[in-house]
Amino acid sequence: MSGKGENPVTPAVRVTDLTVAYGDKTVLWDIDLEIPGGSMVAVVGPNGAGKTTLIKSIQGLVPRVAGVVSIHGRPYEKQRKEVSYVPQRGSVDWDFPTSVVDTVKMGTYGDLGWIRRPGRREHEKALGALEKVDMLEFAQRQISQLSGGQQQRVFLARALVQSASVYLLDEPFQGVDATTEKAIVTILKELVAGGKTVLAVHHDLNTVSEYYERIAILNVGLVAAGRVEDIFNSENLMKAYGGKTSFFPERKTARRAV
Amino acid sequence: MSPHQLDIQLVAVIVAASCSIPGAFLVLRRMSMMTDAISHSILLGIILAFFLVGDLSSPFLIIGAAASGVLAISLIEAVNRSRLVKKDASIGIVFPFLFSVAVILLSKYARNVHIDTHSVLLGEIAFAPFNRLIVSGMDLGPVSAYVMGSILLLNLLFISFFYKELKVSTFDESFASSIGFRPRLIHYLLMAVVSLTCVGAFDAVGSILVIALIVIPPCCAYLLTDSLFRMISLSVLFGISAAISGFWAANWLDVNIAGSMAFVCGVFFLVVFLFAPQRGLFGIMREKRRQRMDFAEASLLVSLYNQEKGEAVKNHPDSRGMFRSADFASKVVGFLKQKGEIAVTGGGLFLTERGRERARMTVEGR
Repeated sequence: MSGKGENPVTPAVRVTDLTVAYGDKTVLWDIDLEIPGGSMVAVVGPNGAGKTTLIKSIQGLVPRVAGVVSIHGRPYEKQRKEVSYVPQRGSVDWDFPTSVVDTVKMGTYGDLGWIRRPGRREHEKALGALEKVDMLEFAQRQISQLSGGQQQRVFLARALVQSASVYLLDEPFQGVDATTEKAIVTILKELVAGGKTVLAVHHDLNTVSEYYERIAILNVGLVAAGRVEDIFNSENLMKAYGGKTSFFPERKTARRAV
Repeated sequence: MSPHQLDIQLVAVIVAASCSIPGAFLVLRRMSMMTDAISHSILLGIILAFFLVGDLSSPFLIIGAAASGVLAISLIEAVNRSRLVKKDASIGIVFPFLFSVAVILLSKYARNVHIDTHSVLLGEIAFAPFNRLIVSGMDLGPVSAYVMGSILLLNLLFISFFYKELKVSTFDESFASSIGFRPRLIHYLLMAVVSLTCVGAFDAVGSILVIALIVIPPCCAYLLTDSLFRMISLSVLFGISAAISGFWAANWLDVNIAGSMAFVCGVFFLVVFLFAPQRGLFGIMREKRRQRMDFAEASLLVSLYNQEKGEAVKNHPDSRGMFRSADFASKVVGFLKQKGEIAVTGGGLFLTERGRERARMTVEGR
């Protein structure tokens, strides 16, 4: 970790000219984005804005038509271990025959590399992460028996054991209970306080100001990115969502001020 | 048991075990029907390799066959990735095409070669003992036991080396890719292993019945366990038992051995499907019934509890009118009485101490 991420000039994540297309449909167009280390960033935008694609293409999970991604100043491909990914909960089959602790252990596979098996140390790590997300008592439970919130905690725990410095989360609050949402926010804020960087696809505009310091507003192209208080306003949201949102940050802050 | 019968069973057991191992991953990856594609496409590879080397027993035939299995998979993926055709349809387009090319080549240019369509589809395990490995005059057993034995060993090695890679890329492909494993590479390795297994098993049980051995044992195991490792081990056990009991069933009924083995697989599945403790059809029905009864009991207890506390009771507490039939109501009352949670005296129902506790826990959520 030393040397990396502490340099305030080098952003934790830098995306340059990123363009992605599925077939003849452009999903992301010429995105330039810099995410400073130690910040918590929301990615918002309407459906089909390319939020998930942004998270995936940063990691090369979908082919880029153009663009470069660097993590702490070096190409992503060389910094894979610095990045931890929490996919959408619905992207996997939760009937897969495995236990909670074994699922979390998958987070250690990257460090183990090919062929080497997880052992005692990896098991302890997984249990530690489960304790952090308050799921230790479910360690031996089959994953099909978990609720949505519990599934999300398991996914977060799997990301935590990777000991990365950049966390990419795809809708971590989708369909989870209020307690889980609070617990996840607390953990993410602790990570950020410890110098880690969090980038999360976020849907609920009501909680943006409460949870995040920075925001990237997306609609195929990047509408705006920066500190929440500077750019999270109705003008930018109108640009991204058109008339499809009834949320106006100014009105909310105004009401709070009264 | 004659040595001949022993040989057949030996080959069958090895075939079944080597099929069930990769089968577990195919089933979990929802790719069972890829087996269908592979097991048919290998015929093309066998024939093309035969044209090249001109010898039916050459090991190049196995390589050619395995390669055409992988070719079939790649073509299916290519058609599929074009997004112009749905996945199941792309399977249905590719393998009958490759298979038909093979059949045409076979009937046009290789009529006098001993590959008949009947044995392509059904195999002929009964002949397995006749082709023997003889080294300097010593009879070392049927050749196919050695061929399939090597394939089984390869499958075991593959699974034990790449267990965690297979597991993570089957469960969560994009995560696997994000931590630096290459799910596509693993996918093709698995497909190559399946192709090779099909090629080996093809000789013994034919292209249709190899599907039964690859798909059905893991499906049985899946319904019986929550752990991937146990699922694979159970699949192997199911495969082996189907092979042995299938052989004796065929012996007894005097029918085709491979067909009988596949039939036994089907019977195994039916039994598991119906009687698996938690996931079987009857298990699910039992669980639903239990939940319904649980809910009915709790509703009755809570309604009595509320009545005791003097709160307005929506339902008539004597249980009639609360449930869909008087029969069901008296059943609920009967169960509660048996558990000592209510007492029936003279005109009505009363909570016992235990019943009151359960009602309180239900209302207050412990």
